[in-house]
Parts: sequence; structure tokens; C-alpha cells
Amino acid sequence: MLDLTELIASTLRFAAPLIFAALGGILCERAGVVNIGLEGLMLTGAFFGVLGSYLTGSAWAGLLCAIAAGTALALVHAIMTIRFGADQIISGTALNLIGLGGTSYLLTQVYGNPGSSPQVAGFVSTPVPVLKDIPVLGPALFAQSWFLWGALLCAFAVWWFLNRTVTGLRLRASGEAPKVLEAAGVPVLRLRYGAVAASGALCGVAGAYLSLCLLTAFSENMTAGRGFIALAAVIFGGWNPLRSMVAGLFFGFASALVIRLPQDMVDAQFLNMIPYIATILALVVFGRGVRGPAAAGVPYRPGTGGTAKK
Amino acid sequence: MTPRAWRAQVLRGLAAPAAAVALSLVAGAVIMALSGVSPAVAYVSLLRGALGSPEAIGRTLQNATPLILTGIAVAFAFRGGLFNIGGDGQFAAGATAAAWAGVTLSLPPVIGPVAVLALGGLAGGLVGALAGALKARFGAHEVVTTIMLNFIVADLSTWLLLHPLSAHSQVPGSDFALPSNRLPMIGGGLAGAHLGLVVALAGAVVASVVLWRTPYGMELRVSGLAPRTARYMGASPTVAAAAALGGGGLFAGLAGAGEVLGTYGHMTVPFVTSLGYLGIGVALLGRNHPVGCVAGGLVLGALSSGGQQMQFDVGISAHLIDVLVGIVLLFVTVQTLRRRTGPRRARAARLAVGGR
Repeated sequence: MLDLTELIASTLRFAAPLIFAALGGILCERAGVVNIGLEGLMLTGAFFGVLGSYLTGSAWAGLLCAIAAGTALALVHAIMTIRFGADQIISGTALNLIGLGGTSYLLTQVYGNPGSSPQVAGFVSTPVPVLKDIPVLGPALFAQSWFLWGALLCAFAVWWFLNRTVTGLRLRASGEAPKVLEAAGVPVLRLRYGAVAASGALCGVAGAYLSLCLLTAFSENMTAGRGFIALAAVIFGGWNPLRSMVAGLFFGFASALVIRLPQDMVDAQFLNMIPYIATILALVVFGRGVRGPAAAGVPYRPGTGGTAKK
Repeated sequence: MTPRAWRAQVLRGLAAPAAAVALSLVAGAVIMALSGVSPAVAYVSLLRGALGSPEAIGRTLQNATPLILTGIAVAFAFRGGLFNIGGDGQFAAGATAAAWAGVTLSLPPVIGPVAVLALGGLAGGLVGALAGALKARFGAHEVVTTIMLNFIVADLSTWLLLHPLSAHSQVPGSDFALPSNRLPMIGGGLAGAHLGLVVALAGAVVASVVLWRTPYGMELRVSGLAPRTARYMGASPTVAAAAALGGGGLFAGLAGAGEVLGTYGHMTVPFVTSLGYLGIGVALLGRNHPVGCVAGGLVLGALSSGGQQMQFDVGISAHLIDVLVGIVLLFVTVQTLRRRTGPRRARAARLAVGGR
């Protein structure tokens, strides 16, 4: 029998990290820098979240470490692609390799036993009084960690930022028509650096959620492709924070079904495919309607009126 | 081109990848020093593990075999103007096809492995061609579709190995391929190296000939360099895209089939590799030339067998090698692209998010 409370609760738990990382991907790509390195950034966040908590005994310090580490690695992507004009896809692939190799390397260097870290202090769930006693929905929605609400709030905040603030408008312009933005006197590159750094910070949070909230330890390659599902959510949601949030919830639901459906009903592998198939279908069905920011992927050279050569 | 000018061009071409590898080794030395290990001792051990004995050389060749092919998978598609991030999925498709055919097809020696390899290549090629067709027909960008297909193929392959292809033994996975279908070892003390290496070298020659000596290859390269010219020449963009990714996928599929028939003998669950992603590094080191991929594959193959030895000798995790490859990617892309930023690159990059 399917437990509805558990299904909703699991959906939210799986969706939260996807939403955080997808929001990071959206900020980065809307500013004009493609980021397929979400997976590596998340994994880095997950590792340093645990390391921070391990060294200080505080989950909050762990979260800060995760944000700092995610931002630092994202800045490598930013410097390589923005300053040196490196290919954004290749640099993103490098982030994934460095994230996976680097955390596995540090795991053995710091904790000695390859495989996983010891248990550390993590975030506990924060039940909301009264509301948590509502039947079915109460335990599913109001007996969870604040992290979940953080993810949803963050989606609205990013939407508001992109659509209702001057900086958000400029950030979008940086991804659509950087020349125009520069002509208006706005430093394009600084905006892009900021956006890439923010994507690292959000992926750091996503990783910390996995290692400090879902589990309270780091294990090798613990993101297991979630960064790519987040990338799928970015595209499936059409680079829109709210739609990508819904995509993240949908993909979270698919993951929840894997563990909540009776084993003999559907094989897990087919449920696992849902996000990837959905993303390809979205590209096929909405065809050329689903498209990213016009200038994303193109290095910008200030003072040249655009890319290095046209 | 005079032989002298040609030599100068080749030397210039080698300089950038060599510098990238050298810089990443320096970065590795810094990381080791910070971890409290003497870089000199570690690198001596790495060199020993990569080239120090016939067995070491054998392992290097064994590691290089699939890397050469996944590198060609990236380089081939890139010559057609497309990014193939789908090496992992194409590799898994080829391996799964070989895991099935290796057990099922009972053929005479020589014909057996050739037929099974061909099926593996075909499976990888079909996965690649699917991404190419989606690109040409619907404008779905290949970077996105190939990444998504990696996971779809991995899940499908896992399901096949757990159900229809399962050997029902202790280790989840397929049965061992029939001996007549296996790729023989090269022997001569070269532990682990199998005839898949010959397949990889032949693959490099075939890919070069196809790209530079056939009308098909000409069309493919023009499609990559100047899509409008290609259309003017009468080349179909649909065929070109499917052919570039399908052709690339074929080599990754061969890599997967070769690993099953040569190295492992069967396929286990989970069959996790990152050979497809490492192939991007191989292709970049090889300057997107199939013959360059042989060199790139040998370098990464040597790093990985040396890394194992380093882990054994000085206790430094072999995962450091993945980090070094990541650093190589960063350096080599900067060096390669600074020299060649042009409309084609800009366009390829713009397409990377589904724009036009």
C-alpha cells in the first residue's frame, strides 16, 4: 500500500537539492555562462559541508563551508571561461571531473577509509507546532527540515530577483544582449562573475542538503547524477525559476516513487529514466520554443562590441 | 605545404597539449606536497607503474585502448561541428550489445569477435545517431540530449543486465562471453593488453581516412567549419548531424564492446566508467585528430596505470589522476581556443544552450 504522507515527504526531500542546484544553473546561464558542472559543484558542497561540520561540530558551519567551497570551484569556471575565454562546456566537464576526483581524493586523505566519512552533526527536522498535526499533509509538509522551505522560498526569490530588480534585468540582458548592456554602461563581466559565483553557492547548499540533512555523512560520488537531473530541471523549466521548481518537484516525485512504490510494480530503472526522457521530450515537443539565453555560451570581450570576431 | 612547414605545424600542435599536461603535473605536485607526500617520490612511482616493466606497459596499453576510441568518438563528432558528451552512453550501449551477443552468438573464432564488435559499434552508433537526428529534426541541442541519453542508456543497460541478460550468479551481471568470442591477449608479458588495442589503432586510421579521404568526410568537415557552405554544396544538415554523432558513437560503442570482450569478459552491475567523459580530454590532447587521440589515449592510459601504482606505493589516492585530467582539460581548452576563436566556435558555443 502506498503511504501518501511518506510519498509527499520523500518527493519534497528529493526535490529540494534539485531545486537549489537548478536555481544556480538558471542564474549562471541567464547571465550568459553555460554551466554543465552542477554535479561537480554539488559534490564539492556535499564534501565540504561534512568537513566543516566534522571540524567544528556545527552543521551551520558546515553549510557555510559548503557554500564557500561551491563558490570557490565555480569561480574557477568563471575565471577560465570569462577571463580566458575557455570553452564553457569543456570547463564544465572539467568541474565535474575535479569535483568527483577531488572529493574522492580528499575523502581518503582526510578520513583514511575510502568509501565514506564518519557521521557528523547535521540538520534535524524542525516540526511546525499545530500544523504538523494535520492528517496526511501535516507530517509530510510541516515535520521536515527548514531546508525544504528554503528551496521553495529561494525559487520565488530568484524569480523576483530576475524579473523585478534592476540587477536581475541586467543579468538577463547579459545573457541575451551583452553588447547593449555594455553600451548602457553596465560592466558585463562583473555581472557574469557574480552569477557564476552565485551558482556555485547554490550548488554548495544543494550538496550540503544531501550530506548534512538527508544523510549526515559524505560518501563517494554521493550526488549520483543529481547535478545532471538539476540541469534537466533547468532546461525542462525553460530557464524560468518557478517552472524549474515545478520540474524539480516532478523529478523529485519520480525519485520518491522509486523507493515508495512496491518493488514488483515497476522496475526502478524505468522510474529513474523519467527526468531524462522528460527533458528530451520537452526539447522535441516544444521544439525550437525551448531555448536558452541568446548569448549563453559565447565569451564576451568588452570594448570590442561583442565577441572577439564576428 | 613543404615538409618543413608541415613539421613546424606539427610541433606547434604538440606544444599546447604537452604544456597542458606539464602544468597539470605541476598542479598535482602542489597537491601532493600539501598532502604531505614528496612529489618526486610519487612521480617516480607513477612512472614506474606506467612504463617501468612489461606488465606496467601492458596495463597502460589496456587502459589506453578504450580511451583512444572514446577520444575518437568526441573528435569525429567535433569535426562535424558537434559536441559529443554522450560517450558514456554510447560506450554502455556497445558494451551491453557485446554482453548479449558475446554469450548468444556461436561463431567460428576470428569471425566471432569481429561480429560481436560490429554489433557493439552499431549499438553505440545508433545512440549517437539518435542524438544527431534529434538535433537536426527538432533543434534539440546535442550537449543536452547526449548527457540525458547517457543516463537513459545506463538505466536501460542496468535493467537488461538484471533481467533478460542476468547470469543469476553471485555478482549481478551478464554471463561470460563464449571463449570463441573473446579478444585474445597480446601476450609477451604485456599483462592485460588485448587485441582491442589493434581495433583502436585501426579505428584511428579508419576515422582519419574517412574524414580526410572520402567525400562523406569532406561533407562532414565542411558542415562543421561552414554550415552554410555545406548546405550550398547540397549536404543535408540532418544527415550530417546524424552522421557526425552516429560515426562518433560507433567508436565509443566499439570501446564498450572491446572492454567486455577483452578486459572483463562480461558486464557487471553497476558498470560505471567515466571513459566517455575522459574521451573529451583525450580528444583535446589529440587536437581533435584521430591519430592525435592515440597519443592522448596513451597519455591518459599511462596516468591511470601509474596512478594505481602511486596509490599502492605512497598511499596517495588514485583519484588524484581524475583531478589532473580535469586540470588538463582547463588548460588545454584555454590554449587551443585562444588561437582559434572564430565564428564557428562562437556558433557552436551559442548552440550549446539551444540558441541558433
